[in-house]
Amino acid sequence: MIQPQTLLNVVDNSGAQELMCIRIKGTGNHRYAHIGDIIVAVIKEAVPNMPLERSEVIRAVIVRTCKEPKRDNGMIIRYDDNAAVIIDQEGNPKGTRIFGAIARELRQLNFTKIVSLAPEVL
Amino acid sequence: MPALAAAAAPYSGHHQCTAREKHLSMQFRSKRSARLNSQRRPRCRLQVSICQSRPSNDSVVGVDDDDALDDLLNKYGKVVYQGGDLKKPSEEAEDDAESLSFAVALAKVANDVKAADIRVLFVKPLVYWTRFFIIVTAFSRPQIDAIGSRIRDIAKKQFTRTASGDTKPNSWTLLDFGDVVVHIFLPPQRAFYNLEEFYGNATLIELPFDNSLSG
Repeated sequence: MIQPQTLLNVVDNSGAQELMCIRIKGTGNHRYAHIGDIIVAVIKEAVPNMPLERSEVIRAVIVRTCKEPKRDNGMIIRYDDNAAVIIDQEGNPKGTRIFGAIARELRQLNFTKIVSLAPEVL
Repeated sequence: MPALAAAAAPYSGHHQCTAREKHLSMQFRSKRSARLNSQRRPRCRLQVSICQSRPSNDSVVGVDDDDALDDLLNKYGKVVYQGGDLKKPSEEAEDDAESLSFAVALAKVANDVKAADIRVLFVKPLVYWTRFFIIVTAFSRPQIDAIGSRIRDIAKKQFTRTASGDTKPNSWTLLDFGDVVVHIFLPPQRAFYNLEEFYGNATLIELPFDNSLSG
């Protein structure tokens, strides 16, 4: 359940460390974003000497949420953190590697690039 | 509950009338509830007996499980492969062969459109969600478009499969056929993402055509 003002961890090696959601894309008037949704976010914390800097506005895909997604077979997955991966306007990830486990729902939502960079898919 | 009521009776004796009445009423209520409880008691006992019986059963099963697990560990080592819904090895091999022929056909098509540095990786042992990766370099966006549309056409005509993934040419265009995933890169993106290194443990499939002129 990501909404504007939510802080998210960045789980790729793009150089950003923390994001704040400022808008959810493509959901019209929906309040919350879930796994696989694109958000517009602002970088709150970044590693020095990297291309991305603090207070830059970027797009990101949510890959993990504390609020558990439910699958049709009854399986639910709850992660410990809210995490996102930074993408560009074309949908390519800004980083080259992704850390931690991600959900397979991302593949159905056409984020196979992110899935193919991830070390583990649940 | 009767024991509780008995404890309440002497206590009520030390109080004034109003308080005593209250206590009496409470006592009466408690007695009534005690009677109700006593009527229910057999059921309670049954529940208790069930409750008590469960953990003992569980523990017995748990011990059995532990023993069985220990046996399996001794037999197979730390990784236990479970049967169930798994396919037979022969069926699995057939599926793999089908995917392999599809992947090699797509690689051939890419080679026809002058894609460079074609690699077909067997990634099934590394990731569960696909079998083959085809990694290809193209040198311009029109060429990416050409490779993508040719691959889509062949897949639709010969194999009746459709791809999900990117529809527009992109610096990293990805076509997802389920068991075969095609990555078409521009040279800088290929060096940037370096997928071959990430999937370095995957086995490289030998291709039937000459791929050496690629850089």
